[in-house]
Amino acid sequence: MEYMQKLQKALQELNHITGITLDIKADTPEEAEQALIQIKCLCTAYREKYNSTDFLQNLMTGVLPAYDIDSRASRLHISTSDRRVLFLLEIKSVNDTVMEILKNLFPSQTKTYLIPVSVNVVGILHPIAPDESEETIRNTAYAVADTLTTEALALVHLSYSGIMDSLSELPNVFQETSLALKIGKIFYSEQTVFPYNELGIGRLIYQLPVSLCQSFLKEIFGSKIPDSFDTETSVAINRFFQNNLNIAETSRQLHMHRNTLIYRLDQIQKRTGLDLRLFEDAMTFKIALMIINYLHSERNL
Amino acid sequence: MASLSLEGIQKIYPNGFHAVKDFNLEIEDKEFIIFVGPSGCGKSTTLRMIAGLEDISGGTLKIDEKVMNDVEPKDRDIAMVFQNYALYPHMTVYDNMAFGLKLRKVPKAEIDKKVREAARILDLEKLLDRKPKALSGGQRQRVAMGRAIVRNPKVFLMDEPLSNLDAKLRVQMRIEISKLHENLGATIIYVTHDQTEAMTLGTRIVVMKDGVVQQVDTPQNLYNTPCNLFVAGFIGSPQMNFLDAVCSVKGDDVTLTIGKHVLTVPVSKKKALIDGGYDGKTVVLGIRPEDVHDSEAFISNSPNSIIESTIKVYELLGAEVFLYFDVEGTQMTARVNPRTTLRTGDRAVFALDMEKIHIFDKETELTITN
Repeated sequence: MEYMQKLQKALQELNHITGITLDIKADTPEEAEQALIQIKCLCTAYREKYNSTDFLQNLMTGVLPAYDIDSRASRLHISTSDRRVLFLLEIKSVNDTVMEILKNLFPSQTKTYLIPVSVNVVGILHPIAPDESEETIRNTAYAVADTLTTEALALVHLSYSGIMDSLSELPNVFQETSLALKIGKIFYSEQTVFPYNELGIGRLIYQLPVSLCQSFLKEIFGSKIPDSFDTETSVAINRFFQNNLNIAETSRQLHMHRNTLIYRLDQIQKRTGLDLRLFEDAMTFKIALMIINYLHSERNL
Repeated sequence: MASLSLEGIQKIYPNGFHAVKDFNLEIEDKEFIIFVGPSGCGKSTTLRMIAGLEDISGGTLKIDEKVMNDVEPKDRDIAMVFQNYALYPHMTVYDNMAFGLKLRKVPKAEIDKKVREAARILDLEKLLDRKPKALSGGQRQRVAMGRAIVRNPKVFLMDEPLSNLDAKLRVQMRIEISKLHENLGATIIYVTHDQTEAMTLGTRIVVMKDGVVQQVDTPQNLYNTPCNLFVAGFIGSPQMNFLDAVCSVKGDDVTLTIGKHVLTVPVSKKKALIDGGYDGKTVVLGIRPEDVHDSEAFISNSPNSIIESTIKVYELLGAEVFLYFDVEGTQMTARVNPRTTLRTGDRAVFALDMEKIHIFDKETELTITN
């Protein structure tokens, strides 16, 4: 009985991927088991031969051996030497609406492949013309994220890779882009688009063991590790860092009197012993802040 | 269309970043509200919370008196227009506008009616058969607006929709959006970092900084009576000049001393300084560049508001001239008539229009006189 049910499911799947309808008569469980194996083989063979999504999924997740890439890609008429970029898009649910929007943003003639990764992540393998720059890729990333948000009315996070020159780079590029998505959401949670090459020190911190992070924080702050700083102070510190510790420029950008900014920096020095006007202290403080945020969001310090 | 109520709205990200703090605002039906502020001030985050794209960490959001905190974005009856819009390249303008409705399985006749109506409002009727590549930047932007209009939402949410356009097109589209607001009678919430866009479009402006609402008022009131140093500096281009000045009260006379310059405070501003106990204290004097005069007539009529300096930069913009100079180590700008004879390197005398000065508390940065 169990095999009969499995057989029915396998027949439905075969019909779904090939359009072929089969009716199989199996009188005994052994016959049903035999038929089930045959149908599964048929499905696998069909996918291998005709389904580019399946092929790219397997390639991306490292399931496919390297020696098999060229021959299978050629069977599916997928060029192995095109320049491409991988966008990894995370949304609440990759449903039909989302796929329909993406298919229309990248019609088939653009040779862009949509590769479902999980229930909420989809990869977009997009060809890059020789004259297209990093700036074009960035614009495309933002346009995809904003269009999906507008049309599907859902929050979208999107990371993208560097340009790959060969399809064989896809597994590594997928790893890199997945990491960008994870790190981006932890360290830059107020953003929605995360380029693989703009993860900054977050990439390093993400790889550190928790114990090492905790000892570093103890070394800097002693037993009183600050939970966080108030928003005004956080914004002022971040802007101060962005302006290369330039007080005049920072106070101008923040529309804040320079003495107010100096007062805030003095307060931080009193609290932590770090003078953010000095490069070394500023660097230590920046790293410590990022580690605090990382431990808070990821590991619940 | 709809009214909105934001009561004590907060946004705290998982990494502890407090992006929006205690945001309170009542938005009337058909208002054109602008959220303006520097990058990272929380304006887009607030918009995204109204849209339902970000969870609200605290407070209550109501649309038409209904609490919306936990309502899915698709059920909030809103439409959004973003800075980075993409049109479907293989579809015509008509199909681009109709696509969202088709996804929602709206009947064909209704789609047709809505698309044609939106095309009429946006003056796109003659372009309905064109593909995106045959459209200009402004026309594409109008199609993006059209996609939002066909939804006939209660509220339009626009996040820097003009930022990707060049300066000339941006001015043109500003006028289009203004007309659109009149034609639709819609409630619009519009996010921008461009104070000119804010001043020209909004019926009311919400100025934000570091996740905190600084002031909510009409464009004119924001310009004339800013509530603190930040608003005074942010609204207006070139920005307001600020000078540290020592306040002295002698009987009924109040003066502000900036180095060797002594300025007499007019009657309308004196009381607040006397009552506030500012005698002997340093305050911040703010004056807009257009209220710094170089004309001889004005100078001779204002002997108690004279400052002297050397012109560092002369900038002719056609209809006006900007003169840059230092007063006690602080750079100032004067916006004067292009017929001025002053040039770079000249010794210059200016008179401040003391009725237009703003005085701020140096510690709290709040206005004393407005």
